[in-house]
Amino acid sequence: MEANKRVIDYFQDLPSKAEIVVGEGEEVLLRLLPNQPFEDVAFSVKVAKNGRFEGVFADIIRHKGHFSINIELEGEGAYAHWLLSSIGLNDDRKSFEPSVLHLAFRTEALMESYGVAAEKSRLAFSGVSEIKKYARKVKTRQSAKIIVFDPTSDGKSSPVLKIADNDVEASHAAVVGRLNEDHLYYLESRGISREEARRLIAMGYLVPVLPYFEEKESSIISDSIKGGLFHV
Amino acid sequence: MEKLEIIDLHASVGGIQILRGVNLEIRRGESLALLGPNGHGKSTLLGLIMGNPRFHLDSGKIVLDGEDISALSPDERSKRGLFLAMQNPSEIPGLNSADFLKAMMNAHREKKMSLLEFYRSMNVAYEKMGIPFEMSKRNLNEGFSGGEKKRNEILQMLLLNPSFAMLDEIDSGLDVDAINVVAKAINEEAAKGTSFLIVSHYARLYNLLKPTRAAIMVNGRIAVDGDPSLIERVDREGYEWIKRELGIEIEKEIAPAMNQVSIGVCATKEAVNNGSK
Repeated sequence: MEANKRVIDYFQDLPSKAEIVVGEGEEVLLRLLPNQPFEDVAFSVKVAKNGRFEGVFADIIRHKGHFSINIELEGEGAYAHWLLSSIGLNDDRKSFEPSVLHLAFRTEALMESYGVAAEKSRLAFSGVSEIKKYARKVKTRQSAKIIVFDPTSDGKSSPVLKIADNDVEASHAAVVGRLNEDHLYYLESRGISREEARRLIAMGYLVPVLPYFEEKESSIISDSIKGGLFHV
Repeated sequence: MEKLEIIDLHASVGGIQILRGVNLEIRRGESLALLGPNGHGKSTLLGLIMGNPRFHLDSGKIVLDGEDISALSPDERSKRGLFLAMQNPSEIPGLNSADFLKAMMNAHREKKMSLLEFYRSMNVAYEKMGIPFEMSKRNLNEGFSGGEKKRNEILQMLLLNPSFAMLDEIDSGLDVDAINVVAKAINEEAAKGTSFLIVSHYARLYNLLKPTRAAIMVNGRIAVDGDPSLIERVDREGYEWIKRELGIEIEKEIAPAMNQVSIGVCATKEAVNNGSK
């Protein structure tokens, strides 16, 4: 980690509410890797002029919780990057609502969510990227991608853009795809078992968060889909 | 592998019967060129031999060295030495090529490879196929050009060292230099005793590979099984002579085209102007 970056870690319980203020020119990295289930969690983040906020959430435990994070880019040149990887297994019911509000000139946000819904789990991604009037030269992107592994699992992805100024670059994408039988067949035809093939494909949805964690946490994240969790 | 036998194979795709009694035998060290008009069952046959679940085996048997492998899963067939270089290799988002190759190679061994051994093998194969090593960091086949995908298929074949390899239009999408690279690699495998079943529409590849036999598939059956001179004849005359000399009416395409498939993507966009001007 860079020396001048403030790092906030939640590697056990998540608080039901948390507020983070990123000061002028400050850099903050928020890392979430809870090992306890949660019900309703709301994070609020305010980013001042030229501040940089990065939030990374590795959601690998079983729960039926709702998580929201609202990021307000208050000062000119403020930046935010939100990255979520979520694995749904058993009868998990998980919903995530990452939102960003652009209030100032030249603010930039990238909101990314990746999810695997397997077994009997349900996964929902929503969230709003909003650009207020006169917040010009803003760049914002919101993307959400879920792969649904089993006929008994389900995923829903519905990010929204609200734009009140013309001088902006904004995009969003919602992708929900079923596990492709041709992909499984391709891997199996190379000698890889069906279970391992499912694990390899699921791993692709966890990989984005790994670089943000140290080796110990990375191993916990990678190992979360080993050990028979991905039954055929 | 000593012998692969295809015995009276009938198969269908989506309720349409494609293979209507295929009989074929391939022995160790043989290299069989499989020709035939588009949509007459060549790819279906290769997919069935590999165990593609899209294809339904209605009747008949696939026997490898005396063992009926018709009901085995594709990974079990691979472990018995079968390999299929696919016509349209799947793009798999998020799966790193090197991770895939490691999983593939480890699946064929009892003891996992050391990292050093793995990287050495990869280096040799990438160099042999003329693929930049950096490609191993990219997602499997994602964004690869047609030619890169085909080279990548042969690269996997080199790493797995199968005893029976099927090549489904491996030359499509390759330029002349790349065809030479691919052909050299295939010939080296053939010299080790690997048997081949090769589907191509072009004499150029066959000229480089010099198959030991050739067969022509028409209407879901093997219409002609003979020596490699068949390749030259088809290249020169097409398939019209089959009707003339053998009295076989060539039907229109009976097999649906095998399309490229990728993960379902539906992009939604909603831009809301709140009108507060």
